[in-house]
Amino acid sequence: MTLVDPIEYEEAELQGLGSRLESFAVLGDQSAAFVRILARAPKYAEALWDAMAEALFEGGVDHSLKEMVRIQLATKAEDPYFSSLRSRRAIEAGLTEERIQAALGDFGNDPQFTAAEKWALDYAYRMYRTPESVNWAFYEEGKQHWTEAQIMELGGLVAIHYGMQVFMRTLSPTT
Amino acid sequence: MRSASAKQAGLTEERIDDGIDHWRSSDAFTPAEKVALEYSELMQFEPARIDEAFYARLGSHYSEEEVVELGAFIGFNVGYHTFFRTLDFYPMFSPEGVLVSQEESRRIYGDTPGSHLRAEVQEALAAAHAHESAS
Repeated sequence: MTLVDPIEYEEAELQGLGSRLESFAVLGDQSAAFVRILARAPKYAEALWDAMAEALFEGGVDHSLKEMVRIQLATKAEDPYFSSLRSRRAIEAGLTEERIQAALGDFGNDPQFTAAEKWALDYAYRMYRTPESVNWAFYEEGKQHWTEAQIMELGGLVAIHYGMQVFMRTLSPTT
Repeated sequence: MRSASAKQAGLTEERIDDGIDHWRSSDAFTPAEKVALEYSELMQFEPARIDEAFYARLGSHYSEEEVVELGAFIGFNVGYHTFFRTLDFYPMFSPEGVLVSQEESRRIYGDTPGSHLRAEVQEALAAAHAHESAS
């Protein structure tokens, strides 16, 4: 399946990871393969998925926007696993595949996105392509749309999800 | 920044510099350490080169638990260091542990932080020593 096999689902449950397996399934992978791979190092599975879930599902920035940011990053990371997943919670809230694809395209000129959403998508887009352009002026522009707490929430989301997507990309046997 | 626990365990600035710039040719690292350092370098710059053969090499030195620990740790750091770079934030303490302003910290660590063996950092350390001796 991957270059490091996930542990068995039941074994992960016995490790006390049941709630993490269930919360990961919201992303559309009932098998929670990512958590079961991390479960090779159990403390990592707990700490990292908890941080990733907090960044994606909680906080003061709309989850559907963060889901679009997550998928955009997974596409940049060329990670076939995370780029294929879709949050059920976001879909139930009305996020469509058309809107996701728009976020992966020319979002800056797309009138369906607000100025705040465009800034957030641009933040993620620039972070691992042209980080030098994410400068004082860019953050000042962001503060026109978001509180500093929301900007840190977005930054944390971008950082931890991209890092794990790069790791998962390397585990794909197709790479 | 540097881990105090790693330094107390004997990690030196010379070894850190070697681990960044010269790990391939250095005799200071074991084959296991070298493949871990290579894993980190590839994850950041050429993830497409981390393939089945590379994981087989990792697996000849590390258990699956250790491979996941290394991979997740490296991925986390790849993600976070780029984010923190954009915040233009410097350590609040000098290498000697003295609280310093952001301007002073930038002067000590430089625009492209890296080796603590650079002249600017060494000068800052010498100044901190002199200040301690005088007080």
